[in-house]
Amino acid sequence: MTMKDFKYDPDDLIAALATPWAESALAVIRTSGPDCIEAASRVFHPSDKLKNAAGNTIVYGYISDGDVKLDEVTAALYRAPRSYTGQESVEFFIHGSLPGITKILELLFRSGFREASPGEFTFRAFLNRKMDLTRAEAVQEIISAKSNQAQSLALNRLSGSIENSINRIKSDVTDLLASVEIQLDYPEDEAEMPDVEAGETDPIVDKIDRLLSTYRAGRIYQEGVRVVLAGKTNAGKSSLFNLFLKEDRSIVSDIHGTTRDYLESWISIGGIPVRLFDTAGLRDADHPIEVEGIRRSNEIIDNAHVILYVADAREGITADLEAFMEAYKEDRRCLYVWNKIDKAVSSAPADFIKVSALTAEGFSDLEDAIKSVVFRDHYVPGNEPVIDSMRQKKLLEEARDALGRYSQALLDGMPMDMAAVDLTDALNALGEITGEVTSVDVLERMFSNFCVGK
Amino acid sequence: MDYKAIVVGGGHAGIEASLAIARLGFPTMLVTQNLDVIGKLSCNPAIGGLAKGNIVREVDALGGEMGKLIDASMLQFRILNKSRGPAVQAPRAQADRFLYQKLAKETVESQKNLHVYQDTVVDLILDHEKGLCRGIVTERGRRITSEVVVLTTGTFMEARIFIGEYRQSSGRLGEPAAIGLGTAMRAHGYRLGRLKTGTPARVKKSSIDFSRMEEQSGDNPMLPFSFSNEEIHRADHSCYITYTNDETHNIINENMGSSPLYSGEIVGAGPRYCPSIEDKVVRFPTRNRHQIFVEPEGADSEEMYLNGISSSLPEEVQYRFLKTLPGLENVEIMRPGYAVEYDFVDPTQLLPTLESKMHKGLYIAGQTNGTSGYEEAACQGLMAGINGALSLQGKEPLILTRDEAYTGVLIDDLVTLGTNEPYRMFTSRAEYRLSLRHDDCDMRLFPKSRYAGLLSGKAMELFEKKRNSLEEIKELLQSRRIKKADVENAPPSVAGHVGDSLFKAVKDPEVTIEELAEIEPALKRYKSQWVKHAELDVKYEGYIAKQEKQVARFKKMENVKIPADFDYDAIEGISTESREKLKKIRPLSVGQASRISGVRNPDIAVLLVLMGKENNVSAE
Repeated sequence: MTMKDFKYDPDDLIAALATPWAESALAVIRTSGPDCIEAASRVFHPSDKLKNAAGNTIVYGYISDGDVKLDEVTAALYRAPRSYTGQESVEFFIHGSLPGITKILELLFRSGFREASPGEFTFRAFLNRKMDLTRAEAVQEIISAKSNQAQSLALNRLSGSIENSINRIKSDVTDLLASVEIQLDYPEDEAEMPDVEAGETDPIVDKIDRLLSTYRAGRIYQEGVRVVLAGKTNAGKSSLFNLFLKEDRSIVSDIHGTTRDYLESWISIGGIPVRLFDTAGLRDADHPIEVEGIRRSNEIIDNAHVILYVADAREGITADLEAFMEAYKEDRRCLYVWNKIDKAVSSAPADFIKVSALTAEGFSDLEDAIKSVVFRDHYVPGNEPVIDSMRQKKLLEEARDALGRYSQALLDGMPMDMAAVDLTDALNALGEITGEVTSVDVLERMFSNFCVGK
Repeated sequence: MDYKAIVVGGGHAGIEASLAIARLGFPTMLVTQNLDVIGKLSCNPAIGGLAKGNIVREVDALGGEMGKLIDASMLQFRILNKSRGPAVQAPRAQADRFLYQKLAKETVESQKNLHVYQDTVVDLILDHEKGLCRGIVTERGRRITSEVVVLTTGTFMEARIFIGEYRQSSGRLGEPAAIGLGTAMRAHGYRLGRLKTGTPARVKKSSIDFSRMEEQSGDNPMLPFSFSNEEIHRADHSCYITYTNDETHNIINENMGSSPLYSGEIVGAGPRYCPSIEDKVVRFPTRNRHQIFVEPEGADSEEMYLNGISSSLPEEVQYRFLKTLPGLENVEIMRPGYAVEYDFVDPTQLLPTLESKMHKGLYIAGQTNGTSGYEEAACQGLMAGINGALSLQGKEPLILTRDEAYTGVLIDDLVTLGTNEPYRMFTSRAEYRLSLRHDDCDMRLFPKSRYAGLLSGKAMELFEKKRNSLEEIKELLQSRRIKKADVENAPPSVAGHVGDSLFKAVKDPEVTIEELAEIEPALKRYKSQWVKHAELDVKYEGYIAKQEKQVARFKKMENVKIPADFDYDAIEGISTESREKLKKIRPLSVGQASRISGVRNPDIAVLLVLMGKENNVSAE
């Protein structure tokens, strides 16, 4: 059914990180395509400044997602044909934090850009006769991109299992399509087989949804593990918060919390990007503002991946601590920090992590404890597939939506040959993840599963 | 040169090829083993069917003959798959095969520029050095020269038929095989393979008890395949349906040992979509019955065709299992079923024009290329004929693409992928079938037809009239709004559309244009098939638009051409497997290259870069 899906289409908008996927001071995102500047200005503030800028100039501003400013950037602007690709291009110089890069790329992909294939910018340059390279060099670029891709695939422990599980879904869709095709390709009075029904896509959609749900686990490393400091106001949360910022290279120092209820910062613990929150102190309050602050703190705690309850070693086990431990006793996200051990006399209860925010004593134990919770709760074992790229997620969603349209079309009384277009779309999307499905595959399935008359 | 062109074989491919070249003004010889079997329907007495009916209408739109022949000889007509959707509906007609054959022979005999001649071709005159085909050598030792040779040998090259223990060197029962040509082709360096097909018994009508079968009558009125024919008035003849049962299957199973299919004697692959009854019993052991259609072979004939039960078991076994079918208890076999195995030429040795890559001037078409079916043969014959004539005229060839015609899908599949079983067209082979409706063949192929030059003035006029009418109908649908007064007697599905335009209403799956014609009688002024055509165009606009997006993407790759003499050994960085495949197929475009099985996507990217520079694809 499908053509081999070829991504080297020179007429749409592409974007990609042009610098290595690693933390660094700066990163460059390159975009290109017809009307690229117009499209880029939709995520840029001030938008008109970028739109109206002359070619070969640099514009300062913000990447913004609606009203939310994501990063302060400079944009290098190229007007066709004076650009690397020969098409309009914008290169964004952004801060080099992985979560930051991810957010900006996601925004671009939501805004009409597609992820560029390896070598694609060069490919366009070549098509537009922009390159003074010999053919061999251009070809070489694609080849090396190819092997890089292969290499990164080989390094990706999970890729094999993703492929298997997508292949299983694809096989289900192929079966379904074959059962539709057999009806379409044999006259209704000759083929003795049950009618296809809308609900047949349900189990396939479930499988896709299950796979999609792993995206969060796969993404946690990119979106950041949410770690929350909780505890009484004077337990030393803020000192601990500052210690984290000092000890771990801060990725983004952008402090998000516009209210005074909490502080947020990006840090990195053992290579895992972490969003660290310092909440307002947990205490009963009658004051309406305090009540609101506590409500927000609780919300942050609810959404956390790891909760660090900070206790003041000088105070020992307080009623507050006991109440918290009672309330969260089933909650495996909680870690108890026995802070201020430099000043303490009493010994720590079992399972408490002994730390001094002042001297940094015990800090590495705390980091290890956080890592082990993250790995325990959000690490998916090798035999279970996890999708971790936006591309996979997007294609899986496309497949799921196409299956939905197919079922809806049948319910709406659309003829089967029309509905089958949506099944083909689903198969195309899945095929794009793993390779392609051809009409030959569908015919094979028809012949092996059904007996036909005339 | 004795002739401009020689067409070898008088089957459905040979008829179209020879008529096309002769009609375009070139002195042509049609040489066949037996003039009395020109246009014979060797297997089922029917033309059309799913996807195949579309092909017949494509052939007609391009100026071929098949549609006219069946229009003049049909015994029953049906539109198949009415419930499944417009893109997969297709016309099928039972033919009076005696009449069909008579008309076919008369047509070629009366064709100007066409010399119909009886002999058997045993070799080709080939100039290997220059890569040219120069003519033919016949069994009686004649060397006849021409610039173009079209080979349409059907199932006759080195053919053998099988019935139980019985073997004979025949292409059809009672007709000798063409011995020598296949061997000669191999010696000339062509890759040939073996394929198998089979046919069921023909039985005597008066020995059948039709009261024990279901009767199946045709549509009334019959509709023409040919766009040049307005209507058809012929008497409808019924077909009948009966079923096999456990007893039938037991007899077949017990005698499987005597089937040449299972004794290893037949090496050629048979068609999976049209298995013999032996195959059905083996492959689908859980099925306790198979449907059998009993079809008339001719209005004046006692012979009836048993569709769905082809067999090469010994005749006495055929008797025994046929007698287990309701209505066939006293059956008299007039001709037994048999299997036939024959040489086919690996079609990947051909260009998309169906011309040989090795020898210019040699075209191969029809079952010789590994296809099955009259329709598949006819469209190839027509395209080989048109391209042979265009090359004689010194003009660019006509290659139909996958989004334009089933014919394009078929030829592209053959020359790009080859085949290892008799190839039959299915709608699912066509990625863009929504645009390949049978009623639309004339509209979509007209510019091509005009280029080919085979259409009559009358056909061109009719085309213009239809095109204008379709536009008028759609305008009428756009401009006319449904008023309250309109829907007093209308069904609720229509009544819900008060205030809407007819155009909007007809998009509703529950509303038919016939119902709307009750509101707006002006619609009745147009031919009902054209109104229906407009309805389908409008109703499924959304889906068609979706598909057009896919087509646009497909076209981009098709438009990146690869020079015929391109040196694949000179490119760096493509895999050895891809390189070998590309060298073998020699695709004409990167699009075609991407369909070759085993050529990897990154290698296509490399090709695209190289060809992109040649073609400057971004400039369009």
